[in-house]
Formats: sequence, structure tokens, C-alpha cells
Amino acid sequence: MTSTATQRTWDVVVWNDPVTPMSVVVVVFRRIFGYSTGRCTQLMLRVHHEGRAVVWSGRRERAEEYCVRVQVAGLRCTVEVTA
Amino acid sequence: MARLFARQRGGGVLVRLNELGRSLVLDAARRVATAERGEEPAWAALLASPVDPSRADDPLVTLGRQREMASNAELVVLTAHEERLTDAEAWAWLSTLQVALRGLADEHAVTDEDALAAAPPEVHERVQALQALLFALASCL
Repeated sequence: MTSTATQRTWDVVVWNDPVTPMSVVVVVFRRIFGYSTGRCTQLMLRVHHEGRAVVWSGRRERAEEYCVRVQVAGLRCTVEVTA
Repeated sequence: MARLFARQRGGGVLVRLNELGRSLVLDAARRVATAERGEEPAWAALLASPVDPSRADDPLVTLGRQREMASNAELVVLTAHEERLTDAEAWAWLSTLQVALRGLADEHAVTDEDALAAAPPEVHERVQALQALLFALASCL
């Protein structure tokens, strides 16, 4: 039987900050998530303009692994249940 | 003006920093390594950032993150005077400089553009220097 908790999906959320260069955000997204430069740029702009962006969604364990990798790269990042 | 970093055809990154630039990198890496040992209280919030703010993080996850940040910073200390970096070393430089930049911003309560503009000149100058290094390095990765 699958519990409700394991059926949920989790979002990896990256938050804006006032000092990080935009190009660094793009490089970090490309390296960690393997997205194209165009997609990374779109996500970076969403972070910049909206204050945050969901950059990946899926299983909780994987979301937490991604979050830690983004934090090690120095960006503000958390996980949360997909709304 | 020569670029501070250049991508090499066979892989890796050529470092063209002068001694001042290298000392800035070394100092940033040493501060991150020191912070990981708990000796930079002003950086504690950054280094203890929650993964999931709705619950207490798994201590193993926190420890793993701490080890990886420290290992990156130590690699930067070891390679701060190298002329060429492997891709892994260049990634450690980028990550460590970025952590140092965020740590500096947190330490001086730079939470938005206005706070950055109002920061003391020496903080502003240091933020700009780290940003310039990060910008140049990111263009090679």
C-alpha cells in the first residue's frame, strides 16, 4: 500500500539573493540538473524577477539530494511539498 | 584586457589571476573552511540553511553538506596558486567563492539591493571583487 506521504511530489525551490551573479545561477543549474542553457536562463530569470522558482519536482529523497547540491554550490535553496 | 580565466581546448581552465586576485581567492576559501569548523559565527545561518524548513533536517544530510563544502574549500586552498585547473577544481573554486560571497553578504546583513548600496565601501568593494571573479569563472564552465 502506498501512503499519501510517498505519493506526494516535492519541489526544489531556489530563492533570489542580492549578490549572486546571474551567470553563476545558470552554470549551477546546468551542472546540477543537466538542463539546456536556455532553460537554465529562464529559471534564473524567474528567480530574479519573482524571488523564487521551482527548478525540479519529484520524489522527496531526490529533491533533498538536489537541494543539498545546490546549497553546496552556494545558492539559497529549500524543498517543499508541491502545492 | 586579458580574461581572468580561459577555457582550455583539452578541458580545464587556465587561471590568469595576479597575486592580488589569488590572495582574494585564498582568503575566501580559508574563510569558508574556517566557517565550516564553526569559527565564523556570522556565517552560521548560511551554513546551517535548512533543506526542508517544515521539519528538522536529517543530521546525516547536514553533515554531508558540511563535508562537501569544506572539501571544496580545502581544494581551493591547495590549488590557489595553480596556473591550470581541472574541471573539478574549477567547480570547487566557483562553489567556494559563491559560498564566500553569500557568507560576506549575510555577515553584513546585505539582504536586498538597498542594503548592498548602503554597505560600507570596503564590503561593497569585496562583494564586487568576488562577483567579478565568479562572473569570469562562470563564463568558462
